[in-house]
Amino acid sequence: MDVALSRNGRIALRALFVLVVLFLYLPIAILLIFSFNNSELPAFPLSGFTLHWYHQFLTNADLKAALQTSAIIAAISSVGAVVLGVLASVALTRRRIRGRAAVSALLLSPLVIPYVVFGISLLLLFHTIGIPRSILTVVIGHIVISLPYTILVLVPRLEQIDVSLEEAAYDLGASRLRTFRSITLPLIVPAVVSAFLIAFTTSFDEYAVASFVVGTRTTFPIYLYSALRFPNQLPQVIAVAVVVITLSLIVVVAAEVGRRVAEERLGSLENAG
Amino acid sequence: MAARRERLRLDLTTPTLLGLPVAWLVVFFIVPIAIVAAYSFDVYSLFPGKHGFTLAAWREFVHSSIYLKLFWKSVKMSLTVSAIIVVLAYPLAYYLALSGTKRKYVLLLVLIAPFLTSYLLRVLAWKVILGDQGVINTFLFWTGLRSPGHPISQLLYSRFAVMLVLGYVWLPFVALPIFVSLESLDRGLLEAASDLGASRLQAFRRVTLPLSLPGIMAAFLFVFIPTLGEFVTPSLVGGANGYMYGNQIVDLFGTGFPDWETGSVLAIFLFGVVTVLTVVFTRFLQPRRVATD
Amino acid sequence: MPEERDVLERRLSRQDLLKLAAATGSAGLVAGPAGLARAANAHLAAESGRLQVLDWAGYGNDGGGSMFAQYVKTHPKNKPQFTYMGNEADALAKIHAGLKPDLFRPYVGWVKYFATSGLVQPWDPALISNLKHLNPYMVKAGQYQGKQYGIPDDWGFDAILYRSDKVKPKAKSWSLLFDERYKGKIAWYDDITMIQAAGLYLGFKNTWNQTDDQLKQTQKLLISKKHLVRKIWSSETDLWQLFGSGDVWIAYAWPNDWVQMKKKGLKVVYMRPKEKPIAWVGMFMLLKGTSRPNLAHAYVDAWSSAKSAKWLEDNYGYGHANTLARPSSSDLLRALQLTNLRAVTEPNAYMDRDIPRRALYAKTWEQVKAS
Repeated sequence: MDVALSRNGRIALRALFVLVVLFLYLPIAILLIFSFNNSELPAFPLSGFTLHWYHQFLTNADLKAALQTSAIIAAISSVGAVVLGVLASVALTRRRIRGRAAVSALLLSPLVIPYVVFGISLLLLFHTIGIPRSILTVVIGHIVISLPYTILVLVPRLEQIDVSLEEAAYDLGASRLRTFRSITLPLIVPAVVSAFLIAFTTSFDEYAVASFVVGTRTTFPIYLYSALRFPNQLPQVIAVAVVVITLSLIVVVAAEVGRRVAEERLGSLENAG
Repeated sequence: MAARRERLRLDLTTPTLLGLPVAWLVVFFIVPIAIVAAYSFDVYSLFPGKHGFTLAAWREFVHSSIYLKLFWKSVKMSLTVSAIIVVLAYPLAYYLALSGTKRKYVLLLVLIAPFLTSYLLRVLAWKVILGDQGVINTFLFWTGLRSPGHPISQLLYSRFAVMLVLGYVWLPFVALPIFVSLESLDRGLLEAASDLGASRLQAFRRVTLPLSLPGIMAAFLFVFIPTLGEFVTPSLVGGANGYMYGNQIVDLFGTGFPDWETGSVLAIFLFGVVTVLTVVFTRFLQPRRVATD
Repeated sequence: MPEERDVLERRLSRQDLLKLAAATGSAGLVAGPAGLARAANAHLAAESGRLQVLDWAGYGNDGGGSMFAQYVKTHPKNKPQFTYMGNEADALAKIHAGLKPDLFRPYVGWVKYFATSGLVQPWDPALISNLKHLNPYMVKAGQYQGKQYGIPDDWGFDAILYRSDKVKPKAKSWSLLFDERYKGKIAWYDDITMIQAAGLYLGFKNTWNQTDDQLKQTQKLLISKKHLVRKIWSSETDLWQLFGSGDVWIAYAWPNDWVQMKKKGLKVVYMRPKEKPIAWVGMFMLLKGTSRPNLAHAYVDAWSSAKSAKWLEDNYGYGHANTLARPSSSDLLRALQLTNLRAVTEPNAYMDRDIPRRALYAKTWEQVKAS
């Protein structure tokens, strides 16, 4: 007998799961359909098949520039957030810290701020200290937003790792940095990858903060938001969305496969240790 | 001696580890909020003119029932959404974590993947689904359940629409922390309970549920906090009735004529309430678990 | 006055003028101010860098390229670079927060506000050859104390759009926006002009400068009628979706919304209320301290040409101040009453104008939305 689920329970839960998945993918299916629909406004009934919107997007230099800007911002800010996140997580799990509650509250505090408020605060700060708004200012803001997520992913993983492995290395004369590099880091690679992905997607899709602190460049969500103002630009944006989700699905599936391969390898290593 | 110095220099001391992240958040997070707070007292302003410490904006906020009523309405909406989707997400997470399926990570990924499409566009897609001539209403016309002249128009541009879409957006995110807390649960405990003659329901009530409570609370906060400050979803699907507190903040800073003093008051009030709530919740449930689950 | 025109004056110093005269020959001087202006333009192409434009989303490289194509052709090294503004208040905040555009584009109700704010400087009409073709009432509305602070560009009306197959108005009046019979089928516009419209309906003498008491009455009316409203729209995409999908039947709307809905096959009427519609006009304004005043003039001149104007009318569905332009759509021509220059002003309509207590109006409107 299964201690967690009865047969019927399992069937019921599976049905619920399927329903929720349908619910989650319905809007995406709608986007997919309307990216081929021959009308400016996404509304039923459908009016005909066209590839025009994809073509239009491919020739739209501004849209491509916006995607590129967002990709750059997301890449830099996610690397930054992961680096800071690893530092903080190692400290939280491996060090005795005075005022630890306060420190972890501070590190997680960006989770509790509505992004509008944060965007405005950051704008005021940059204005006060005279930093002109640019891609860099968006990166700074996105690192703040993503940092707690990276910590939330990294800390549990670090807690799972047997500390005695690290202690052994340290006792054998390795510096803490060396210990980290050769023992800890390889073991947390999967979590680092997840953290990076979460930070990347958060940044890539972030509108509120970026809209306040971005300079003259336009990010993809900002482009989107302004395209919403003019009906004739909407369909090509929907086409982009379809392209973006397809690409990111490929990336995530690849990352997941990689993660599992790595985890199996590291799992055997850990057991051996 | 040289080797020892080398080791000391490169050592990852606690200040080395924590210095950068903490400094980053102090400079780019705490200081900006302090500036907003200063703004709410008119101690600081972007706009030229006479400025000086005043409680005027705060006083108006407290005395004008409009803002607090709006805040309360938003709290109720967020609470409803959070409660419903935690209840909905729990069985999903339970299924993934405890049904023993080998594909649990793949299935989890299936849940999370919609996150990768632009938030704005997913919300927009809901407009197409919920409108008077949208997917649902057209379906009802087609089946004859409603006559074409009488669509269910409460589906879109209503509080319902806002709550539905917010639930949609946050559901996968809520499932995640619950999944993590359930997955770390020792199945041996359940087996022991079973051996001692507990039914599945009893084992769930006495073992699984209490142990996953921190995950539930974390999940709840994960959705409650961001939805409370939400403004994009209500502005797209909310209609005149679905307007939320976050919209008012954005509008005070943006539309009409900038009223940053009042906007700052509203922002700081929201931040304060959310912080207090978080502290209370985390105190109430072993802080470490909640913070890390 | 010399301080007022400082940038141009300083740049066109005596020496410059002499050099110019020599360079262009006496022809430039004989041809009068316009010729001189052209010569000045050529000479001062030396202004460097890309022209910094603060404009509404959708008017820059993200769609409005044809409006300034002529400028890009003649100034390929100084292509405009855009920052987008959500509205005038947002632009004001951005400028105060350190953004330094060369020009931006608020609407007519803000001309006096900005002219007296010390942030902008007047244009030199001599440098904008197309100015003479622009609607004189709009050009006048761009002036403050006799100086041309705003160059009019796109414009339209605020009036009421309704489905004639569903709605039977009791009167040609703004009251249709507050008609209890159409609960849930009405859309308002998210702007403080709703206060002006409500004030017109209530019969106030000067709806742009309501007394405290009147403002309270207006707010009471709007709050008490808000339950009728399905959506307070903030972009035309919003409105077209709402109206096109049948979610609403009555809307505060612009002329092109009527044209578009008619094109969709809906039976629609664009009603000019008896209390008069309100006319809005976009106004280019030149920032004080800009280092590219001549480029800015050239840009605005390109925008003001009949060719750009026609393109704007055909592609955006707004009117354009250039009176030579005629849109391809006869419906749009009719809705905008393009054959009548006075259509935008009394006795036909009220041109939108300065609101002395704008902050209070804004707060009043925010509270309506929040309540």
